[in-house]
Amino acid sequence: MKTKLLTGMGMALILGACVSMPQPNAALENARIAVQAAEADPNVNKYAALDLDVARKDLSNAENASLHHLDAEIAQSAYLATQNARLAQAHAAAKADDARVAAGQVERDQIMLAARTREADNAKLAAANSKQVADSALSQRDQANEETARVQAELDALKATPTPRGMVLTLGDVLFDTGRAELKSGASRKVDQLAQFLVEHPDRRVQIDGFTDSVGTDSYNEDLSQRRANAVRDALIARGVDSSRIGTEGYGKSYPVATNSDSGGRQLNRRVEVVIGGNNGTPISPRSGF
Amino acid sequence: MLMGLSNVAKGASLFTAIALSLGGCATTPISNEQIAVAKSSVQRAEQNGAPELAPVEMSTARQELASAEKAAADHEALSATQWAEKANVDAQLAEATAQERRAHKAATEFDASMATLRQETQRSSQPNQ
Repeated sequence: MKTKLLTGMGMALILGACVSMPQPNAALENARIAVQAAEADPNVNKYAALDLDVARKDLSNAENASLHHLDAEIAQSAYLATQNARLAQAHAAAKADDARVAAGQVERDQIMLAARTREADNAKLAAANSKQVADSALSQRDQANEETARVQAELDALKATPTPRGMVLTLGDVLFDTGRAELKSGASRKVDQLAQFLVEHPDRRVQIDGFTDSVGTDSYNEDLSQRRANAVRDALIARGVDSSRIGTEGYGKSYPVATNSDSGGRQLNRRVEVVIGGNNGTPISPRSGF
Repeated sequence: MLMGLSNVAKGASLFTAIALSLGGCATTPISNEQIAVAKSSVQRAEQNGAPELAPVEMSTARQELASAEKAAADHEALSATQWAEKANVDAQLAEATAQERRAHKAATEFDASMATLRQETQRSSQPNQ
């Protein structure tokens, strides 16, 4: 304290001699305001505490000089206090902005990462969707294939054989009593299967052709074969098959499948053939040739 | 670093005052040293964008440095020291002001880019349909 006083006196002496100074009280007041403003600035306390210390020390020097009316030192120290306080605020503001940007960059990185993640998720979702579409198409195809396979299996179960006219199911004469056109009870299982197939596949037409052996007159045989075909038709209608889908024809002794010269061959020739049409509902062409 | 120098300068200024009170208005090596410190601060401010970003502070510091050099040439040691102190602090202030304006500009631009980014991500996060 004593040395400071001494110094102050020395300064005052010199300043009086060499420098002319502005009003010291106004300068001191400015310095107080500047230092207070810096002290009130939260950024200064956070980022420029050392600058503020320097400004406070300058202000304290100015206040001391003021106690001793050392005008020149008041003015000098007050000026330095003011400028150091401003310096503290400038440094603090710059650092605060830098810190804000640094923090923002972290946030920006997070946002961009989230955006990239979301894009990846969307891509994954799109891929999953197109896979689903593909799977669905595949499963539709599989279903169609399954359907075809199932129909084939059903036709196989009916012991149908492929011919140019369609799948042909032969009902042997064991289903009818000799000379009679009524289906025997043993026929019902086969007719049930056929009816069920036709009900499940309403787009298919069916042609029922009756045949006999060569025993008896042609007109008798044609009539008998027609009645037998009709008997099968009626049985199908009774089981729910629409009559418009069914065609019938009696061919008599025509189109034998075996010889008529022995009883085994004649039994094979006494038959009803059921031709099952394609799944597009196309009519079945009448029997011709061979 | 500069702060330290500035404190040294202040200590030296007191010392100079004492020396001068004994020797009168004579030039001493100490004021030359302070002028050198101030000159270096002025140069640093000039190299760090202060002439463009803090022209008022920069001009003040240059004038004060010139006054310090003139006082030294006139063998007015105390005056030279005081002008040098002022030039030093004002050069630092010019540099810091330039730095502050650069940081402020960068932060403002960053805020704008963030706002754009937020808008974009908000838009893109909404469903397409």
